[in-house]
Amino acid sequence: MKFVDEFRDAELGRALAGEILSVVDPDRHYKIMEVCGGHTHAIYKYGVDDLLPENVELVHGPGCPVCVIPMGRVDDGISLAREPGVIFTCFGDMVRVPGSSETLLDAKAQGADVRIVYSPLDALRIAKQNPDREVVFFAIGFETTAPSTALTLRRAKAEDVGNFSVICSHVTIVPPLRALLESPDVRLDGFIGPGHVATIVGARPFQFLPEQYGKPVAISGFEPLDLLQSVLMVLRQLADGRAEVENQYARVVPWEGNLRALEIMSEVFELRAHFEWRGLGFISQSALRLSDDYAEWDAELRFSVPGVRVADPKACQCGEVLKGVIKPWECKVFGTACTPERPIGTCMVSPEGACAAYYNYGRFAREREVV
Amino acid sequence: MSERVLSEGCTTCGDVAIPMRVADIDRQTGLALCLDADGAGTSVETALVEPVLVGEVLLVHAGTALSRAPEEARAR
Repeated sequence: MKFVDEFRDAELGRALAGEILSVVDPDRHYKIMEVCGGHTHAIYKYGVDDLLPENVELVHGPGCPVCVIPMGRVDDGISLAREPGVIFTCFGDMVRVPGSSETLLDAKAQGADVRIVYSPLDALRIAKQNPDREVVFFAIGFETTAPSTALTLRRAKAEDVGNFSVICSHVTIVPPLRALLESPDVRLDGFIGPGHVATIVGARPFQFLPEQYGKPVAISGFEPLDLLQSVLMVLRQLADGRAEVENQYARVVPWEGNLRALEIMSEVFELRAHFEWRGLGFISQSALRLSDDYAEWDAELRFSVPGVRVADPKACQCGEVLKGVIKPWECKVFGTACTPERPIGTCMVSPEGACAAYYNYGRFAREREVV
Repeated sequence: MSERVLSEGCTTCGDVAIPMRVADIDRQTGLALCLDADGAGTSVETALVEPVLVGEVLLVHAGTALSRAPEEARAR
């Protein structure tokens, strides 16, 4: 397929790996964070990390929207799913995320009407097909997904669909990156920026990373050569003593983003004062709620939700994985008590979670290394 | 979880966009029927990339087209 095959060319990959080797200082250890869970998945699926020198370490960031949802928020969703007459709709991965005592899948097994959808539009369609039922959509995701929810709510308003509502758990990418850089136990040299978030918000919002923290950034595509080239761009900046935002994924990402999407988002959403992130705690203005114009479709106002903060299980080290402080295999329960089939932590649930990506693609290579 | 989801990453909530070709457009609803590489069809919201034409390839995330595929954007 055009724009796929040429970005998976093995010969070009080897050439890029050679260039990377030529720009690294052998006496320095580099830590580069790929912010996006899609990148984490691609890195282990294609073995991109195997092509990097040993002193170039890729650190997995907080960019998997399932992984950053705290347990209390999952409990809120389960509480809504158990409301009489409610059809609760969500993306596939969310049904397996553990709440404090159960998952949405458990609630479904016990009779709650939980349905997996592939888009918010599907949820709206279910609402129109079931006018005598309340249909709630569990909206999660970064700025990539938020426009889809916003457009669906605009349709719900235009078509006056009164039995549809949204529990809005959309999050934004810049505040957690800032929180990470302010965290004393995190040391990073540069960032691989999230390509499809940037398709919406543009490359401009990432300028604070070089300007305020002196960290180089390369906004990256999702094919193996995209990632290798982005790593090279960051390493070249470090070698030259530069720090700026470079757009490796310029074939898709406009510098200013998608202005139509930003306009619709600003109509439908407002920033929450605070939102809890798994492993990162409460971060100011890091999530979205529905604006007053869309309050009628806000499930948190329509229903009573517990809103209780729940501490993560003690055995789970998702927080340290999300900050890049430990590698997934260094977690005490990785691959033993916590597996994709029976996850304890959110990072093991989504294929984009760092633990699930390691488990699916990297754990055998790791075992070979140990032997 | 299906193999497809595992192989492509989390297509519904992560930072992933799937190339899909526009097969038909419903001007009344503003939705387009789009087909993925395997020929599976779905309704796609096109408000962010309008106007779209039958045959164009869009990058689709969670039922919404975020942008045109690179060759389409260049052709325009």
